[in-house]
Amino acid sequence: MEGLIRGKTVGEKTQRYQNRIEILQGTLDLLILQTLQWGPQHGYGISVAIRNRSGELLQVDTGSLYPALHRLEKQKWIKAEWRISENKQRAKFYQLTAAGKKQLTRERSKWSQLSDAIAGVLQPEE
Amino acid sequence: MWVQRLWFKFRTLFLRRRIAQRLDDEIQFHLEQQIAENIAAGVSRDEAGYAARRLFGNVSWVKEEVRVMWGWTLWETIFRELRYAARTLRKSPGFAATAFLTLAMGIGASTAVFTVVDSVLLKPLAFHESGRLVACWESVRFLGDDATGPNPRHVEVWRQRATAFSGLTYLRNAAMGLTLGAEHPRLTSAVVTTPNLFEILQVHALQGRTFVPEDGVQGHDNVAVLTYPLWQDLFHGDPGAVGATIRLGDVSRQVVGVLPAKFHFPSGSALRSFRRGDQSVSVASDPTVFIPAALDITKFPWNGNYGNWITLGRLNPGVTLAQASAQLNTIQAQILGDPSWPADRRAGTLGAWVQPMQEAVVGGSRTALWLLMASVLSLMLIACLNLANAQLGRALTRSRESAVRAALGAAKWRLMWSVLAENLLLAALGGAAGILLAKTALDLFMRDTPVGLPRLSEIHLNLNVLLFSTLLTFGASLVSALLPALRLLATDPQASLQQSSSRSFGSRHGNRLRRWLIGMQVAGCTALLLVTGLFSKSLLHLLAEDKGFDTAEVAVAEVRLTPQSYGEDQSRVNFDDAVLTNLRAIPGVEAAAMVSAMPLGGESWVEFVQRVDKPEQESPLINFRWVSPGYFETTRQRLVAGRFFEERDRNLSNVVLSEGEAKALWGNDDPLGGQVKIEGRIFTVIGVVADSRNTSLKTPPARMAYVHYKDRPPFPTYFVVRAPNAGGLVSAMRQAIWKYDPEVTIARVKTLGAQLTDSLATERFETLVLLSFGAAALLLAMLGIYSVLSYSVVTRKQEIGVRMALGATRAKVYALIFAEAGTPVFAGVITGLVASLLASRAIQNLLYGTRAVDPPVILIVTGLFLLSAVAAAFLPAQRAASVEPMEALRSE
Repeated sequence: MEGLIRGKTVGEKTQRYQNRIEILQGTLDLLILQTLQWGPQHGYGISVAIRNRSGELLQVDTGSLYPALHRLEKQKWIKAEWRISENKQRAKFYQLTAAGKKQLTRERSKWSQLSDAIAGVLQPEE
Repeated sequence: MWVQRLWFKFRTLFLRRRIAQRLDDEIQFHLEQQIAENIAAGVSRDEAGYAARRLFGNVSWVKEEVRVMWGWTLWETIFRELRYAARTLRKSPGFAATAFLTLAMGIGASTAVFTVVDSVLLKPLAFHESGRLVACWESVRFLGDDATGPNPRHVEVWRQRATAFSGLTYLRNAAMGLTLGAEHPRLTSAVVTTPNLFEILQVHALQGRTFVPEDGVQGHDNVAVLTYPLWQDLFHGDPGAVGATIRLGDVSRQVVGVLPAKFHFPSGSALRSFRRGDQSVSVASDPTVFIPAALDITKFPWNGNYGNWITLGRLNPGVTLAQASAQLNTIQAQILGDPSWPADRRAGTLGAWVQPMQEAVVGGSRTALWLLMASVLSLMLIACLNLANAQLGRALTRSRESAVRAALGAAKWRLMWSVLAENLLLAALGGAAGILLAKTALDLFMRDTPVGLPRLSEIHLNLNVLLFSTLLTFGASLVSALLPALRLLATDPQASLQQSSSRSFGSRHGNRLRRWLIGMQVAGCTALLLVTGLFSKSLLHLLAEDKGFDTAEVAVAEVRLTPQSYGEDQSRVNFDDAVLTNLRAIPGVEAAAMVSAMPLGGESWVEFVQRVDKPEQESPLINFRWVSPGYFETTRQRLVAGRFFEERDRNLSNVVLSEGEAKALWGNDDPLGGQVKIEGRIFTVIGVVADSRNTSLKTPPARMAYVHYKDRPPFPTYFVVRAPNAGGLVSAMRQAIWKYDPEVTIARVKTLGAQLTDSLATERFETLVLLSFGAAALLLAMLGIYSVLSYSVVTRKQEIGVRMALGATRAKVYALIFAEAGTPVFAGVITGLVASLLASRAIQNLLYGTRAVDPPVILIVTGLFLLSAVAAAFLPAQRAASVEPMEALRSE
């Protein structure tokens, strides 16, 4: 259900976000796992990290992010822990598990195959 | 694995408040971070909050999505529907209460009956590998080839030669007086057995030991093993009981062991040592004490002593019943060929067969129990059909509501689930109440029942029963929800919504379905009523039977004399005479006498009787009793010819025959003065007494021979007294007996009226249970008919109005409504009759003086049912006939 395109009136979106790209279906898991590869992070941190590392191009929809986090937790690919955040607030930190690392490798290779394939299709014929 | 998953779900269900709180925290944190970032970017505090929330989107939607991830939504739906069902049911308390009560009674009755069936018939005997335990019987040509308990002398030969068994034991039931010394002895059921019984049953003692082979040696046999209940009763569970001394049948015995609490051994009436087709026995209690049999086997005759001992054995692993039987028959042929065999040597005169012990114990009660089970299940089905009917009606009236829900996008399964939820809730509540009801009913039944049922002490609610009740509960809710749910599936929301409110429910389809339900109910009810009718007639027949003696104003006391104290013939005569004198001295006593068998207590002592002048005449076993002068007068039996016993018979060898026996021996000749030979002794016939049902009401009058009590054996003694206040003489009679000897065991004192009631306790109980089932079924069927018709009248109001406007008379309207019920009722009655006639062959053995196909019973039952159906249809029909045509038409 991640990456579900949801109706929002255009007027609601601020100018700042207009040239954002909706995350491709199926890639949110990969992005989350990859983000957690760099260390434990809370939900907000994950969305910020994805936004920053994509050069503000990828905006993670919270309606997709949180269900995805809880699903990954249920699948035991990530585990959660309540900790005090950098600004002294209690926050739920997610962390990659061993199984999650394996899953990340799988997802990455899947993704590179996919992007190669798409690149091949898009390549202008010679 | 699935347990873990289920546990997780349950945990999340119960922790969900906390988990939901955590999710709120997580989202709140996200928002705060966003706000903080916005503020850092220079937006005002208020604007930062709005922006953060805008960016976040719909918080509830996010939460909902996460909850879907958690996977409890299905459970939440179920709970929500159950809550909703509870609310709907609260809104219609009448329906809810009726349904709850119906289910509670139905499940309660079914659970109780199934508990008995399970504990008695289905559960294996409570012994290690009890499937290998067998009972062995002899079939003896001159005893009519009936199964009879074997002659121990033959069993000893089997023990030496048979390889099919890992052990064989023979045992005998005995009733003995038990005392610790100080108090009057009380009657106890004992088992006298060869010492290897417990080895065969593979039972170890809880305290002390069971028997060792030395216990079977004469002089070393003064030991006893107690059952757990007797140990609790006598010694209050004191381990010091082992080694204590008890007096049992006037013999001091040392207690060597106590059996475990879960040890149950069949009573003498469940595991009988003789099995005649028309045999009747009185109900015996479970044995509480075991003593070793120290026998000199060479004192047993080669051809005799049949039917006194029971033989149990354990088959070796892998040996079949047929193999064991074949082996025993080979040995029987060897016994016939042995030079010491004194009688007929023709092949087949002495056989043997082997039967599973469980079958030997419970076989006799199988038909009656399965009949009760079938009855209670059909009652349960009728109740469920009634509920289905009522639910269908509710579903039809609620069809607009479901149509609205369907139109608004509710999934079909959600709608069906809401119907199911209601039934499930009702069934779960009803089931829980039913199990409690069953438990209470069984406790009451077990506390003091005169009903003769094997393994009575083993009856209790167990896991099997709970499983059965749970399945029944779910089954009941499914059956009663299925039709309304199916009906819902067929609902077209658009059509439903378009129809005007009052006509929409009366769809042809719905009514046809409900008429089918009525038909099935009627069929089940008719079958149940017919069986009830047969049993009632049978019981009435037994009660109305001419007994040949008078039970009113007579009390009887049973006394056990021991061979130790009363071994001498003269000592017994002295005892009898003294007690009779004491009894006659009790104020109000008109007559007192002694007899050697309990009236209506089954057969006790049988003998061959031959005419001395015609020894070649066939002489079957007939009942033999010792009586004192005055016995026939006390019980008011009619003298046919000659005279009763008098004082002068003390020195003579005379006999009084029953009319049937006299006819059998002498035909139309005069038997008086004729001579008969009984057990080698010659008796002269001095009188003929009218036939009586002395042994049992369930068998034809037994052929009897009565002799004078002067040389009676030291077996049970019964004193009968006739007094207008017979019921109040119990303690006076006890004192009259103990006045002569305070150490004799008085087994029981009761009126003959009570004895009569007890002797029919099983039949009475069966009939009572069936009657209550039948009455409940009839009531339910009437309710069903009534509700279908009332409903139909409401929905057909306009149609009826039109008919009446067009000239239909009120009589025609009555006919219209009756006709609507007529088809399903008649079809149901006929189906029920056919079904019960097919099934009734199986119960023929339980009926007395009543044939399984009994036209008067069929007629009465059908009549009763049709009358009830008319009564149930009358009110709705009347309502239909009172419709005002104008009003009905205007209400369109």
